[in-house]
Amino acid sequence: MTTASSALPPDAEEISRGGFNRFVGPIYKLGDSGPGGTYRYAFIAAERHMNAAGSVHGGMLMTFMDVAMSRTTRLAAGARSLSTVSMSCDFVGPGRLGDLVEARVRVVRASRSFVFMSGEILAGDRPLMNATGLWKIVL
Amino acid sequence: MKAPAGFSETSLVDPFEIFVGPVFERRENGQRRFAFVVDDRHVNMRGVLHGGMLMTFADLALGAAVWDATGNAPCVTLNMQTQFLKSARAGNLVEVAPQMVRRTRSLVFMRGDFAVAGDIIMTANSIWKLLNAG
Repeated sequence: MTTASSALPPDAEEISRGGFNRFVGPIYKLGDSGPGGTYRYAFIAAERHMNAAGSVHGGMLMTFMDVAMSRTTRLAAGARSLSTVSMSCDFVGPGRLGDLVEARVRVVRASRSFVFMSGEILAGDRPLMNATGLWKIVL
Repeated sequence: MKAPAGFSETSLVDPFEIFVGPVFERRENGQRRFAFVVDDRHVNMRGVLHGGMLMTFADLALGAAVWDATGNAPCVTLNMQTQFLKSARAGNLVEVAPQMVRRTRSLVFMRGDFAVAGDIIMTANSIWKLLNAG
């Protein structure tokens, strides 16, 4: 098994500026792969993010994906006000204490009112989560 | 935080659940009903309950119900699907009475309606793998 390096890339920008995001964070946006590409986010798994079995808690992974897809909706669709309509998350493998956990989100379609996304969460080359999300653009 | 009337505090072991808690419970028809009070930590910058907190509570409550139904069998979440129907705000009491839909030898299918004052704000379906079932 490989260990994901805990070092944040130099282009990491903190996006957890308030509320629940800040409480569970810090959560970062990484440099993305450009228009039409993948939007990338990261956090470092700390003791408070874990479950009693020594894995990153599923609630934290779902929170991280929710934050990543919300931010992607803002960036890809220029949305200022938005809300989560639905998410489906598959828990593929466990995240470990100290992991640099990365989310990659792809916009499948952005219409005037909705953004359809798919995403994955990885630690190094280990997959942790597979997800789809549907967001509504309010404004 | 004081437990809402009729509820007692749920004993939590996962560090992340303790971090976002407390969570409360009461017996109802032989099963546990779970609740938490939305506070300033749980909302986004618009003052609306964060989906991440709601999904964390769903994972906790539906997982606890799997434990109750299986005699504390070790299990992990395989999948969770959530639909967000309505927003909630600080001060709201969010409640769920988890329902077991089906149990096979190795899987448990759960669902829950999460409500504030009787209004459903989220529905969740989750699939759990029983670790000792092979």
